Amino acid sequence: MGKIPRGSVKSLLFLIALTAFLSGCGVHHSRNDDPVNDTVQKEALAAQPFEDEFDLEDEFEDAASAEIIDPLGGYNRVMTKVNDKVYFWLLKPTARGYRAVAPEGARLAVGRFFRNLLMPVRFTNNLLQLKPKQASIELARFVFNSTVGILGFFDPAAKHCDLQPYPEDFGQTLGYYGVGSGFHIVLPLLGPSNLRDTIGLIPDHFLNPISYVEGSDVRLALRAYKQVNQTSLHIGEYESMKKDAVDLYPFLRDSYEQHRNKQIEE
Amino acid sequence: MRYLFSLMLCLLLSATPSLAEDPAEARELIESKIDAVMMLLQDKSLDKAGRDVQIIALVAPIFDYPTMAKLSLGKKHWPQLNPGKQSAFSDLFIDRLQQSFLEKLDIYTDEKVLYGEPLVEGRKVHVPTTLVSKDSRIEMLYKMYRTAEGWKVYDVEISGVSVIQTYRSQFDGVLSNGTIDDLLEKLKTDGAFTITGPDETGS
Repeated sequence: MGKIPRGSVKSLLFLIALTAFLSGCGVHHSRNDDPVNDTVQKEALAAQPFEDEFDLEDEFEDAASAEIIDPLGGYNRVMTKVNDKVYFWLLKPTARGYRAVAPEGARLAVGRFFRNLLMPVRFTNNLLQLKPKQASIELARFVFNSTVGILGFFDPAAKHCDLQPYPEDFGQTLGYYGVGSGFHIVLPLLGPSNLRDTIGLIPDHFLNPISYVEGSDVRLALRAYKQVNQTSLHIGEYESMKKDAVDLYPFLRDSYEQHRNKQIEE
Repeated sequence: MRYLFSLMLCLLLSATPSLAEDPAEARELIESKIDAVMMLLQDKSLDKAGRDVQIIALVAPIFDYPTMAKLSLGKKHWPQLNPGKQSAFSDLFIDRLQQSFLEKLDIYTDEKVLYGEPLVEGRKVHVPTTLVSKDSRIEMLYKMYRTAEGWKVYDVEISGVSVIQTYRSQFDGVLSNGTIDDLLEKLKTDGAFTITGPDETGS
């Protein structure tokens, strides 16, 4: 490894200090100090109550009017079933076996390690979305957690400074610049996605350090291990979600699209 | 003159003993209920059934279940039903909603809940909360509106996914291809329409 120039170390430290200062490592100002605005708000709230419950309906989409373009509907349904089987027959039993032998603390640490590793994806996409503050927090987290947090197995940045990660991916970056979601695609193993987010996987792939590990079998094993570890910490969530579904495929599709729209909005 | 009027209105409002119009009140309401629920969830001496009954009773006053049932069918379908079907639907739907809510709280809450500043949206208030678990944070947004009995929840968003919106699309799907009886049948059987695997239970 080459020598790092002194200046860059200095500016990095400055950046970390600045970030910690900006995000106020502990101090938060969120009081409502705007009496005029407050008055307006109260006045608005005091206005006539809702005539009937359906006045609340405006914010909800009319499912029929929002005709979803779903050219892959037939394939998507089949792939939803396949993924469901893969989860119940392969992923879940494996994750349960793993959970039985690996203590929770270790599995959480492994999860944090993989999350730390994906910092380039979050950092780059925050920058691309012109969110320099979030990007610098990601950078500060990475430096702090990779060193003090021992290769990212621990997350002292979140624990002691309340510096939370800002998950952004390329699909969200495209959405930020107004690219529509396109039609829905259920990807094998990866689950619900859409045209935009599937395209977004390509740049994110190149920002993922695991993609640069020697040997395709090693990469595959790493990805599988990451997935099993993640699943072991979340057994029961998919099952619970499924119970809310009257029809699984459209349920997962709509939930995914709503969730992504929210993420892009933020 | 107009300004003076709003000032007077403000004084008048702040003088009223009932603070039901205050968005901060909505947040306090959510906070006190969720905190009480957390206490129950962490109380290991209670059996699950008894605990669930207590939680449901605790949160019932702040949820406007009848409105949620109506909204989930919407103007398009609700008025088409006769009162008998309406109440049959409401009972089944509310039960499902409560079970689902309990389960979500149970799964996602193992450390603490953070409360954000309430956001005023016209005559509605959104109260953001974050469920902090060991390795993730789930945003849960309580959407409330003002009623004669104070703030009531009419929708909950989990990670940006609106519970009511999701049910609306699904119910509309069922009703455009079938009848209300088909829908009631599906609501009766938990996950009737979903594919079953070898092991569907939680842990």
